[in-house]
Order: sequence, then C-alpha cells, then structure tokens
Amino acid sequence: MSDDTLKISDMGDAERQALTRLILTLADSKRIMGIRYSDWVLGAPSVETGIAASSMTQDEWGHARLLYAMLKECGLDPKVVEHERAAEEYASVDVLDEPFSDWAAVVAGMVLVDGAMSVALGAFAEGRCEAARARVPKMIAEEDFHASLANAWYRRLSQSGGDALARLRDATNSMLPPVIAWLGMDDDVARTLVEKGITASGEQQVATFRDRVRELLASADVDVDSAIPAVDMDPARGRGPGHPDVDSVERARGDRNRSLLVE
Amino acid sequence: MHEIIYDVFARKNRGGKLCHIGYVDALDDEMARVYAWKTYDEENWFEMCVVKRKEIIPVNRDDGPFAKARSES
Repeated sequence: MSDDTLKISDMGDAERQALTRLILTLADSKRIMGIRYSDWVLGAPSVETGIAASSMTQDEWGHARLLYAMLKECGLDPKVVEHERAAEEYASVDVLDEPFSDWAAVVAGMVLVDGAMSVALGAFAEGRCEAARARVPKMIAEEDFHASLANAWYRRLSQSGGDALARLRDATNSMLPPVIAWLGMDDDVARTLVEKGITASGEQQVATFRDRVRELLASADVDVDSAIPAVDMDPARGRGPGHPDVDSVERARGDRNRSLLVE
Repeated sequence: MHEIIYDVFARKNRGGKLCHIGYVDALDDEMARVYAWKTYDEENWFEMCVVKRKEIIPVNRDDGPFAKARSES
C-alpha cells in the first residue's frame, strides 16, 4: 500500500469526476444488491438462510450509505443522488437489473457480483484515496461472511448435481460476461484513477477475481478463464447499457413513503 | 440435503463466561458459522463458536437434546 494518501479535495477535476463514477457504481450496486437480497428474506431455503439474507441486506445498504456520503466530497449532494435519480441514471452492475429468478441465481450472484464488488472495494481501499482507506476496510470485513455463505452454498448446489447444478451453471455463465466487463473497465476514466494510484487497473482486478473464484466455479464445470467480458459498455456510468427495473429503483429511493419522513 | 444441528456458544468479553446462546440448523460447518454470526448478532461478541450437537458428550443426563442427538448419530 502506498503511503502518500490523497484527499478528495486535493484531486483535480478529472480525478474527481472519475472517482465519482467509481463511487456511484459501487454504491448503486450495493443498494440494488441489498434489494435483491431482501427479496429472499422470506422464501430462502431455510429460516437461517433468510436471516442471513436479512443481515446481508442491512450490510449492503449500510455500505451504500457510506459510499454515497463520500460523494459529498466530490461536490454532489448525497440526498439528491440517493432519492432523486431516475432508473436510467443508476450505475449498478447490469446483472442486478432484474430480480434473481431462483435460489441458484442468488447463490451465483453472491459469488460473482458480491465477489466482484469485494475485489473492487479491496483495490479502492489499498489505493491512495484517504476516504477509501478510512471507510472501506470495515465493509470488506463484513463481506467476508457473505463470501463464506456464498461459497458454502455454491459448493452445496454444485455437489448436489441434477437440476440444481444445471441452474447454478446457467446462472453463472450468464452473469460472468457482464460482471467481468464491469470489473475490468479500462477506458480513459478508469485509467485516470489507476494513474493516480487510487485503484488498481481493470486487468489486475479481473485477474484477482478469476483467482478467487476459479476453483469454486470449476465445481460447477464453469471455466472462469474462458469467460469473455461483455463488450457493450456505457462509459458515463461504468456499466453496460440498460438500467434496474423501475420498481426496484422506487424502492431504492424510498418513493412510496418518503413524504411521511418528518424532519 | 440433510441439515445438522449446531449449538452456538459465545462470550461478550475476553475472559468472560462462554455461554450457550442458541442453535442453528445448517448443511455444513461453513454455513453454520455464517448463520450463527448473523442470527445471534444482538451483542458485539468477543468470541463465538459452533459445535455439532451430536459431538457434545452428555455427562450426567441420558435424556434431553444432547443425549438424543448423540444417540441418533
């Protein structure tokens, strides 16, 4: 880890804009991931799994809140970002655009999406950004339990064979290209952050991700090294085209009952 | 898939009493770790551990949940 930390207020416009994109895609991904987990609080395979899903929901929303708060230093009002953006502005990773179809998809999402977010957070925490060094390590520590649950369930479903294995493999294969493309963004904006030492390159992060999941995915006969990243990316948001479903964004913004928030 | 009963023990402070705080049903040790930590999160535990109920050896009773789990294993 570099010793020369960098305050956001000391960054130039280009770096701050690039940082804003990184923080937004991480925060939005966590917020929408929390909604996807919350869908399984009731209906998970066991009561204990539902409780874990509830806890992970809280973790993801807490992490999102901390990340959104960092945007204030980038010149944005976190309240506006959290409550007033349209679905088309959300920068969450593409895989989260629709609810997970079944438990096998949730498990694949835990391994791939949560796993990729942890790699991205790790690279951010080890970079020069002072705010990231202060706030992100606790998030990563909490994510360790998500990874434990994800890995245990992934192994369990892959060992059970039959329909469970087929569903797990299908979900994994469909999620890998957009996840790798998201983590491996290598445009001018991403390179701005790498050149300043704020995060690692997309190539390095994807390599770390592949190393972490290679053996696990092989248990479902998925070869992470042969997965090809999706090519269609939206440089403004740092993700692919499309956006989360409108209902989920309304839940993320808290539209329905926001008028009852008495300050 | 067969679930296993794990008993959950925790202590609040270093050197504090290790107390039985509950149990979880889980498919394996790794899931039991997560379920225990996420289910019994009402305290900021200094230490928590889980034990398969069937591995607990009853000392003075041949009835109750521990003896039952042992006899069924």
